[in-house]
Amino acid sequence: MSAQTAGPETLGSLSTEPDPQDPTSQQAKEIAGKSPMRIALGRLARDKIAVVCALVVLFFIICAVFAGPISSLFGVSLDTPLASERVDGLNNGLPKPEMGPPNGPFTWEHPMGVAPRTGQDNLAYWLHGCRVSLLIATVAAVFASVVGVVVGLLSGFLGGAVDKVLSFFIDMFLTIPFLLAALTLAPILNERFNTSDNYGTIQKISLICVLALFGWMGTARLIRGEVLSLREREFVQAARVMGMPTRRILFKELLPNLAAPIIISISLMLPAFVALEAGLAFLGIGVTDGVSWGQMILDAASPVYFRDYPQYLWQPMVGVVALVLSLNLLGDAIRDALDPKTRR
Amino acid sequence: MKRNKPLALVAGAALLTLAACGGGSSDDGGNGGEGTEREFGEQGGGTKDAERQGPAPEIEGASTGGTITVYLPGDPGPDTLDPTGGWSVTGNSIQQALTSRSLTQYARDENGQPVLVPDLATDLGTPNEDYTEWTFTIRDDATWEDGKPVTAEEVAFGICRSLDSEAFPSGPGTEYSKHYFAGAEEYEGPYTGKDPNCEKWDGVTVDGQDITIKMSTPFPDMDYWGAFMAMGPAPLGNASKPPNYGQKPLANGPYKIESYKPNEELVLVKNDQWSADSDPARHQYADGFVFKFNQDQAKVDEIMLSDNSDSQTAVATSLGSGNYNDANSQLGERLVQQTSQCVSTLTPDYEKIDDINVRKALAYAYPYEDAWIAGGEVPGVTRIPANSVMPPGMAGKRDFQVDGEQITYDPEKAKELLTEAGYGDKPYPITMVYYEVDPLAVDVQDQVTKGFEAAGFSVKAIPVQESPYNVFFDPDSKVNKQLNLRLVNWCSDWPSGSTMIPALLKTGAVYNTAGFSEPEIDEEMDAISTLPLEEQPDAWGALDEKIMTEYFPIIPTAFRNDLFVFGSKIGNPTGDGSIGAPNYKDLYVMQ
Repeated sequence: MSAQTAGPETLGSLSTEPDPQDPTSQQAKEIAGKSPMRIALGRLARDKIAVVCALVVLFFIICAVFAGPISSLFGVSLDTPLASERVDGLNNGLPKPEMGPPNGPFTWEHPMGVAPRTGQDNLAYWLHGCRVSLLIATVAAVFASVVGVVVGLLSGFLGGAVDKVLSFFIDMFLTIPFLLAALTLAPILNERFNTSDNYGTIQKISLICVLALFGWMGTARLIRGEVLSLREREFVQAARVMGMPTRRILFKELLPNLAAPIIISISLMLPAFVALEAGLAFLGIGVTDGVSWGQMILDAASPVYFRDYPQYLWQPMVGVVALVLSLNLLGDAIRDALDPKTRR
Repeated sequence: MKRNKPLALVAGAALLTLAACGGGSSDDGGNGGEGTEREFGEQGGGTKDAERQGPAPEIEGASTGGTITVYLPGDPGPDTLDPTGGWSVTGNSIQQALTSRSLTQYARDENGQPVLVPDLATDLGTPNEDYTEWTFTIRDDATWEDGKPVTAEEVAFGICRSLDSEAFPSGPGTEYSKHYFAGAEEYEGPYTGKDPNCEKWDGVTVDGQDITIKMSTPFPDMDYWGAFMAMGPAPLGNASKPPNYGQKPLANGPYKIESYKPNEELVLVKNDQWSADSDPARHQYADGFVFKFNQDQAKVDEIMLSDNSDSQTAVATSLGSGNYNDANSQLGERLVQQTSQCVSTLTPDYEKIDDINVRKALAYAYPYEDAWIAGGEVPGVTRIPANSVMPPGMAGKRDFQVDGEQITYDPEKAKELLTEAGYGDKPYPITMVYYEVDPLAVDVQDQVTKGFEAAGFSVKAIPVQESPYNVFFDPDSKVNKQLNLRLVNWCSDWPSGSTMIPALLKTGAVYNTAGFSEPEIDEEMDAISTLPLEEQPDAWGALDEKIMTEYFPIIPTAFRNDLFVFGSKIGNPTGDGSIGAPNYKDLYVMQ
């Protein structure tokens, strides 16, 4: 037997008091009968910033998912060309005029131009960089959240020795300096896997593992705190008295009430991971094959290129900034929408 | 002598000049790009002048005072300042020019050519007939920075230290002293052999101001070897015990060490005990030098091009290729190009790729210009096409082409050669490594892979995070065992084919990463060192041609050049033809 999911508890409030109701009874009647999710989505839809951000995120998701088809639509690809065919080695390695800006007019052959020094097509690299960014960030965020939620649930609900042990692990992982660990792992992974044919894939998987490994603690702490307050509530006590197994209490009683904090933590983890992926690639750990916004920024971050060919740096920069910013704002908006106490 | 820059990956030796034998063979040195045509600081016909005595002739218009700042972008600098341990272009170029004297040294003549002149010795040494015994007379007016005279015993002790290959594992003595000096093989050195005063080795004897070195094999190049600071004095006994001595060695040149932070900064100040009369080639114009290691290339380029008050008295030892055009048009003669007597090579494994046609196919499949551009080099300026192992201008160098004309990227020709060799039906597998940490190296590898695959090869490129040399030299490395194509960048130690060809192509040589081994060639190399001195350059040139045309064991991809940038108030902006570095000896600050 399960408790109703609808109720003040689902709104993620820590307060035991009934939610403050708008005294206007008319409005109260309208709200009645809607599920909390629908209320939240309704609020979200009315939030202009959230809608714009959602559209931007959707654009990036489309770019990422259809990177291949979009590239072939424009007739560009990730293939390495012979450098001398596309760039002028005697002119700072900048693209030849017929390749488009900065020395020539815009051309549909290379809508975003080609990279100095290598002549690789910027559009293809940008699209596939977007795919790598989103893929790594999404998978890592999902993994980190699952681990964080499970650890937080167990630790908060079971308490006692289990709580102590799990809390110890949370604290321990919080003390490990993330960058240092990532820097140390990179050569070890390279040493182990560099002769493999799937080195690129292994690199991405290990990056996901590293991000997830160092990203779950925040969620775990948040969930643990929520569970600590929820487990003393009447519906949980009732479930216990009725002899429900712990697993069922955790996943059927508590988890639905934790939807809000989980969604919020994922939505805030995503932009953090996108930025981290780019940052690590910039440092030369993580993705090293060049198909990553971070590596594109690394290549473009030279005073000469920025002076003569600024769009080369702007392209990946705008990608990272727009994606991270819209994910962040969207995350905030979701948090606001799910929190019934917000009044705007 | 190796290059310290991890990214440049030049191995080998101190690009010293090329020995005599006129410039006729200059391999069209490479003309600059468009824009201002530039002259290379070409090295041709290295000469000797045994008579030159101190003081060194004044530089016209030179003035004293001022401090010169030297930026070394991407260059970590020497690990130790111990003269015996120094075998890097950066360390030796600084110390040999400014702080640490040795038996002989190089002076820059009016044409920019390096001339071998005496230093602590009064002449260039006197060999016996078969070059198995060399006698140097040590001058009596040279002093240490504490005012004490440099004695013949101290020079002999310094020479003895170079035999300690455990105390100085990467010192040049491990290659030359150990190989040539009599009894050196058995002697462990003053530190490892617990012989602090070097009494157990009798290869060097002191008689008054004369020191005599006995050789186990004829060593006609001893006078060039004497220009290494390892062939200089060291304070007797524990005063020069490594590794502490390497932190602040006692100077005897025009400058002494004020402070030294490894990988960061080296500050030199005037040594007031140095007397110009005792030194045929050094000057003491500036009040001091500050060497800043591990600088950011882009930052240094901005500083040097801005011509602000900081950069006016500064020197940069390299220039980012992205700034080449600006620098070329703005700086005029303050941008100095210097051949660095280095060759970049691809080395196919001689056992695994045993067909000369496949090796030639590789040469035609390598996209030379594309790889240079992707690697941030300026084609024709910092890299010029190479035809053989010996760098242009080296004595005896022959101007030949293996296939009649310069090998260039030609995938069709490569395919023909592969078909001829019987590999036409399916791609010929190539396994190589690249340095994953450097994005430039990744881009170069992309180009090479592209070029090879277009020419009928299939490429497996293994990313490594340590210097590829460490992979090549590790016999147990599972990566190394898979490789059939490696690379070496090598610079000459002094102007003779003997520092290029045996180092790269003799059976068992460390940097012979191709594993090339032909008894006939080995014998010829041994035979050349017994020839009369004046016949040797031509013999090396002939051997170079013979190896390339008959075996084609390694693929020379480029001869290398350096770019130096000088501030607008630095006087006499020139490169040092004997080593790939600015000519520190003759710099001054305009007042």
